Amino acid sequence: MISVAAVGDLHVGSDVRGHYRKHLTGIADRADLLLVAGDLTRHGTVAEGRIAADELRDIGVPVVTVLGNHDYHSGAELEIAEVLRDAGVTVLEGNGTVVHCDGTRVGVAGGKGFGGGFAGRCASDFGEPEMKAFVGYTKSFAARLRHSLRSLDDADVRISLTHYSPVKDTLAGEPPEIYPFLGSYLLAEAIDESDVALAVHGHAHKGTEKGVTPGGVRVRNVALPVIQQAYAVYRLSEASGRR
Amino acid sequence: MSEDVPQYLAAHIHDRLADEADELGIRVDIRGDLVYLRGEVATPQQRQRVEAIARDIATGRRIRNEVHVVAVLEPEGEETLS
Ligand SMILES: [Fe+2]
Ligand SMILES: [Fe+2]
Repeated sequence: MISVAAVGDLHVGSDVRGHYRKHLTGIADRADLLLVAGDLTRHGTVAEGRIAADELRDIGVPVVTVLGNHDYHSGAELEIAEVLRDAGVTVLEGNGTVVHCDGTRVGVAGGKGFGGGFAGRCASDFGEPEMKAFVGYTKSFAARLRHSLRSLDDADVRISLTHYSPVKDTLAGEPPEIYPFLGSYLLAEAIDESDVALAVHGHAHKGTEKGVTPGGVRVRNVALPVIQQAYAVYRLSEASGRR
Repeated sequence: MSEDVPQYLAAHIHDRLADEADELGIRVDIRGDLVYLRGEVATPQQRQRVEAIARDIATGRRIRNEVHVVAVLEPEGEETLS
């Protein structure tokens, strides 16, 4: 059994510097690793990236994160990723990593992801270049997610970590009109093609914690306002798989 | 002026909240001369800031600030996925 702590949407700024970190005391007694599902900052500035890095540095367990849309807002996403890496945090963007937890190899693949909507009510790769760019971005991310999950074949447990949601279950509470900006079924389709134990995301602040992909993979929305605690903890075993 | 049309006013407030307060998730509803703000922010200061921005645009209307400050509680419990 491994214990996975997960949270998203920290949205740190200079006014809350150090606030989040206080809640991470003792995390090593409760979890083997911490996953952060993006939106670490508010405006995506490097200064906020540094604050986020300080919240997550040396907390006693490995930290794996993806960036969110807010972390892209100032065009400084590469610098933010660098600052986080300097603090020892693994930042995924369309790739994967294997974390060794007490003899269990935990594979995490992911990245920010993007929107587009859900089967039957989604944007299509058709028409103006702007529309094609929108859908094309999600498609190419989904292809990288699919590939990186598959490449984790030597892991004992596989986890998908994105900012945008792979399913609409966990968006319940958000206005349906904005679902296409909150996630895409293309992410779920990629997840369903590997043996994934858990898919973690954030972004939907007014959503719901629990959902499942069409292929039966458990999905958890860990946005801070949704879980209403510093992080949620999920216990997984090598046998954890589809429901 | 488009600010007199409730739908446009609500959209403008929503835009300015994103622009100036970096809050994308605040719902703005207008009922008569009342402007309702709903959603969640991280600090009491941010809650006040959201209200001030809405007040600045919605001249002549009253603001009902129903925005909550998200409390980060100590982590508790766990879920076993088997
Ligand atoms: Fe967020
Ligand atoms: Fe987001």
